[in-house]
Amino acid sequence: MTEKVKDFYGDYSTLQVPPEERRSTLNLFMVYMGVLAVVAAIFAGSGLAMMYDAGTMLTVAILGNIVLGIIGALTAYPGGVCRANAYMLLRYPLGRVGAMIGGLIIAGISCGILWFAVETWLFGLTTSLIFPDNWLTSIAVASIWGGILMMTTAYIGYKGIGIISYLTVPFWYVLCLIGFFAALDHTGIGINAMWSLGKNVAPIGAGVTYVIGVYAAGCIITPDVSRYGIKKWSGSVAWFIHVTIFMTVLLFIGGIMTLATGAPNVIAAIAAIGLGAGALLLAILGQWTTNDNNLWSGSMAFVNVFPNFTRRTWVLILGTIGTVIAGVWAGFWGMSLDPFINFGTLLGCFVPPVGGVLIADFYIFRRYVLGIKNAEERYKFGPGTKYGTINVPGMLALIISGFVGWLTTLPEYSFGAPALNSLILSIVLYLLFIVPMHKAGVKYEVGVWIEKETGF
Amino acid sequence: MDMVLDLAKFKKECVSSLAVMLILGIITLVLAPFTGHYRGLYLCSLLGIIIVFASGAYLFLVYGRAAKDIRDIAVPTMQSLWVSTSMGLGYIVTALAPYFQISATIAAVLFIVGWCLLLFGAYRLVTISKKTGIPLAV
Repeated sequence: MTEKVKDFYGDYSTLQVPPEERRSTLNLFMVYMGVLAVVAAIFAGSGLAMMYDAGTMLTVAILGNIVLGIIGALTAYPGGVCRANAYMLLRYPLGRVGAMIGGLIIAGISCGILWFAVETWLFGLTTSLIFPDNWLTSIAVASIWGGILMMTTAYIGYKGIGIISYLTVPFWYVLCLIGFFAALDHTGIGINAMWSLGKNVAPIGAGVTYVIGVYAAGCIITPDVSRYGIKKWSGSVAWFIHVTIFMTVLLFIGGIMTLATGAPNVIAAIAAIGLGAGALLLAILGQWTTNDNNLWSGSMAFVNVFPNFTRRTWVLILGTIGTVIAGVWAGFWGMSLDPFINFGTLLGCFVPPVGGVLIADFYIFRRYVLGIKNAEERYKFGPGTKYGTINVPGMLALIISGFVGWLTTLPEYSFGAPALNSLILSIVLYLLFIVPMHKAGVKYEVGVWIEKETGF
Repeated sequence: MDMVLDLAKFKKECVSSLAVMLILGIITLVLAPFTGHYRGLYLCSLLGIIIVFASGAYLFLVYGRAAKDIRDIAVPTMQSLWVSTSMGLGYIVTALAPYFQISATIAAVLFIVGWCLLLFGAYRLVTISKKTGIPLAV
């Protein structure tokens, strides 16, 4: 019988989740719903409203979210099987050091710092719009106390995230529905008339691309939550249902509210209708339940790169950096967040390929080329486990696909959906590189890394 | 024998908790027609139906279940309590909002009921979690 390894870093950041810590499928569903419950999702619906009429908007949302549902379900399953987060799973398709790079890309820098800062600032901005004449709700000050709120549950860890999700998610979605009907009621637009709102000015493909891009990063870090599932498939089912049904609903609600009220900021619009505290809570709770996950995932990614600090210490470090960027840089100094958003968007091109190499390695290479039929046997973890330092095909596939994905975002090379382009290309390239190398007996992993007692 | 008694007693506590939430939900449904405005009626109907459904369905589930261990009782109870507690937060935030134009007396009652749902729900969730060792976010 193996001895239980001490969880040195917290929340099993470098370890497999033990059986006694596993949660129900409903718990995973609630946590995923908490991540989705964000003002930015409603604003994303506003973006769709600029391109389509109500009916087409719904179609586009459904199509895009089905794609996201499938991708996220595929990445969640290895997490449920192996009970490991994304940064541990990547040790196989990218190598141990490659996993550090991949982890920093998908969660460490993009979610943990950049998007945490942007979402915190967005929180401050929305709060200031709802209550414009109070210093406590000025962009800078609201960003700071908002950032601190978001740090608390991330600091507590999965338990805290689960609690805030269970408490706020049911109410948050009901509040969105209330805002939706309030917007229609206030503007005198009936349910039948609602379907005539908007105009189709873009091809459907553009909208599907847009929808996929909104949540591509979320698809790839599903193992961070799915590893807690009581069943191997808990995370996959929870993810698929929440994104195909509820993200579609949110996008549609956001779009209709924008079309009905004509307001670019729908939260401010429903506050103006007379839903004051409700609108404020919509903003606070929505940002809180999403941003704590960004910070939590980011802290685990950093633990897997820099073992000097525990997960909680990384939450404090990253959260403080993000809050300072939001509150001081953007708030007090009024500087633009565009450099951070642009860099985050660039990094975002490399996120889908990270998921792509994981999918290719777990489902195809290990199953059909190495012949490991039992999914639980494909990835092993624990002190003394040996990994390649760099998986050469994985890193090549990641870099090339990410670059191509970025290229297809440029107008002169625009083609299909950039996120899907890079995801599919990474799967193809990974297999194109690794299968011939394996069959020819060529070593595709460089160096050896042995897992320590702490799981690092 | 002690374990069997403990389970029976625990089941009774859980059923009582769900019954309290069910009653509070029914109160809000009964108040719905008296809010004085159609917006208040729809609000109370929506939140009230969610509470009644979540509490009532789980009440029958827990009551009728031949449980083998405490988890079989505690997990569904906690899941139901979370939904009702969350709706309590909903009443706190919306009852006094100008948009719904609910009459002052009814709004005050709904506001108080919301706090009852939130505080009682939180209390029972923490108590059950401590008693059984099951995580709060089950």
